[in-house]
Amino acid sequence: MAVDQEHFVHLARPLAPSALGFSASTAPLTVNIQPQAVFSIIDHAVRRDIRDTQSTRVIGALVGVRSEDGSEVEVRQCFAIPHTENEDQVEVDVEYQKNMLALTLKASPRETLLGWYTTSHELNSFSALIQNFFASPETGTFPHPAVHLTISTEAGRAIETKTYISAPVAVNAERAAESCLFIEVPHKLNFTDAERAALGGVAAASETETRTAPIASDIEGLAQAFETVSDLLERVSGFVGEVLDEERDGNHALGQYLMNALSLAPKVANIAIEHDFNNHIQDVLMVSYLANTIRTQIDLAQRLATAPLVAGEKEGGDKKDGEEGGKHEGRGGGRGGKRGGRGGGRGGNQNREPREPRENGE
Amino acid sequence: MVDAQRDVPVKSALVEALVVMKIVKHCSASFPTTATGSIVGMDNNGVLEVTNSFPFPTVEVANTDSHSHSNNQQNDASSLAAAAPRSKANITYQNEMIKHLKEVNVDANNVGWYTSATMGNFINLSFIENQYHYQKDNDKTVALVHDVSRSSQGALSLRAFKLSNDFMAAYKEGKFTTEILQKSKLTFRDIVVEVPLVVHNSHLLTSFLHQIPAPPDNAEIPLPASLDDIRRDPAKIPAHPSFDALDLSIDPFLEKTCDLLLESIESHYTDLNNHQYYQRQLTREQFKITQWQTKRKAENAARVAAKQTPLPEDEWQRLFKLPQEPSRLEGMLNARQVEQYSKQVDGFTANITAKMFAVRGNLLPE
Repeated sequence: MAVDQEHFVHLARPLAPSALGFSASTAPLTVNIQPQAVFSIIDHAVRRDIRDTQSTRVIGALVGVRSEDGSEVEVRQCFAIPHTENEDQVEVDVEYQKNMLALTLKASPRETLLGWYTTSHELNSFSALIQNFFASPETGTFPHPAVHLTISTEAGRAIETKTYISAPVAVNAERAAESCLFIEVPHKLNFTDAERAALGGVAAASETETRTAPIASDIEGLAQAFETVSDLLERVSGFVGEVLDEERDGNHALGQYLMNALSLAPKVANIAIEHDFNNHIQDVLMVSYLANTIRTQIDLAQRLATAPLVAGEKEGGDKKDGEEGGKHEGRGGGRGGKRGGRGGGRGGNQNREPREPRENGE
Repeated sequence: MVDAQRDVPVKSALVEALVVMKIVKHCSASFPTTATGSIVGMDNNGVLEVTNSFPFPTVEVANTDSHSHSNNQQNDASSLAAAAPRSKANITYQNEMIKHLKEVNVDANNVGWYTSATMGNFINLSFIENQYHYQKDNDKTVALVHDVSRSSQGALSLRAFKLSNDFMAAYKEGKFTTEILQKSKLTFRDIVVEVPLVVHNSHLLTSFLHQIPAPPDNAEIPLPASLDDIRRDPAKIPAHPSFDALDLSIDPFLEKTCDLLLESIESHYTDLNNHQYYQRQLTREQFKITQWQTKRKAENAARVAAKQTPLPEDEWQRLFKLPQEPSRLEGMLNARQVEQYSKQVDGFTANITAKMFAVRGNLLPE
């Protein structure tokens, strides 16, 4: 699942001074952002310290991986950097950035510094200053361009993200440090399959008033999914019904799509389905039965192992005998578990049989 | 102060969405190797708020080969990662990281650690040791367990655990012999306590989540002109509720759980054999002692008859050594693990039967 932000003309990246022997690529650059990076930025924005700084934004570094030719970068995580800003100067804790980067890279050695983020869309001379710091050869991403991500976190507005890279530009040499040309590059939010489940849990919390939600158990999740699917099916059949009743115009593409989907239903004889169904459900129930038998057996073994034995209270020798007996029973229990297990299979069948008439009756 | 803190035990864990995402990312990226990390946050009247997390550095197996020769079990990257929370280097790393996080207004208290698991196989000695390591200093710590395999079925599986106070006391003593267990009435059910876990979002995050997937601009969507239009722009499914839960591939999960159960039975037998060996050893020693005692008594009787001073009768304590009783802890953990598996199987069964009836209902219209 990828969320494209918007469509716009994709310019070639600007020519930047390149290191000797390194041919600067002018191929377009694509930025993929993983959701936990955005979550992290949002968390940082919420935790902004407003006491001793006039700035309304926070900054931090982006860390992730870059493809071999440098044409694609993936932002995997980020960390906050303390900074203060007022009318005429900006201070970034360079020492902190260095230490934190070292710590972060220690935990994920395959990742590198990619650039930086801030929580306002404004690009000013301070932005240029920081951008030049992150793009410089000593402290930054040179010879690769530094990525600048801006994300608006104003309350009550939609959260927008923009990404830029830069080229050096200046009216004269003195002002080179605080000027640069920002060029917007396309980016998208990337969700991997592993994150889908997590996002589901988080999204569940976003739909309640309290912004909290317990993690649903499997069966609850299944029930919700079933409900949603049946709602969606209801809508589709409502649409089809309306078309049939000539209340609204039909649509060829949708009709075709629905036909395709319906033709996916497998053609299997009813008997075969019934047979497979019964077989499979018996297997499943048997596994469940066996697992519970094993649990009971082990529980029993534990109980016997530590049970206070009446005969054992008097003397060591007696106690030992008693325990030995307990042991043997425990082991016998283990064997019994296997026997019980086989019996359980049959038991499962028997359990099922009385159910069958009822199912057929439905 | 300490007493006041203890008055309110951890009742539930409130986990920020950021932490959920970070843990899921880290665990799934390093799967199938175990991943561990630290969580920070603060305690708020019995509700443990977990607000941030960071992974522990991965140890390159090659680097540690030199000093792990003595201990072959340590060779595995997984076991290294599992032991990470209590290794010295990582404690330093953790303190350093927390110090840095404090500067950017993140709650700078360690509240435990997280680990990844496969099909619930996390209850082992290493888990207990890690949690003990955290909980002995601070009662307000939990272990978050993210089950990568189960999450891949659709529903997120993240649970919080802590050790029970009784078990903490027993583990501190370090003795898990039959007698002590009989006295303390500690059973395998009392080892770990599950703490209810709740996911929490900030306001800003809620507004962000409502943007993805973006709702359509108009209520009335233009109808597609051709089939390709639909394919090119597939419907954006909301993340919740997740339709991955409707996946029908169920057998691999049951199969894996069965394998794990068999493994548990295997270790149960090993444990049992150890104890039987101990019992035999004990009987043999005690038999020898009794023999020695009878012999000494007979000797003394002879000596008394000959008007000599009798020899001391308690020398056997020096001469014979009773074998040490093996710890019952392994067995208890194993039992707890089996309980976990069987509950898991129950859960699967409930799910699977529902799905199967749904499929049958669909294929065989009545």
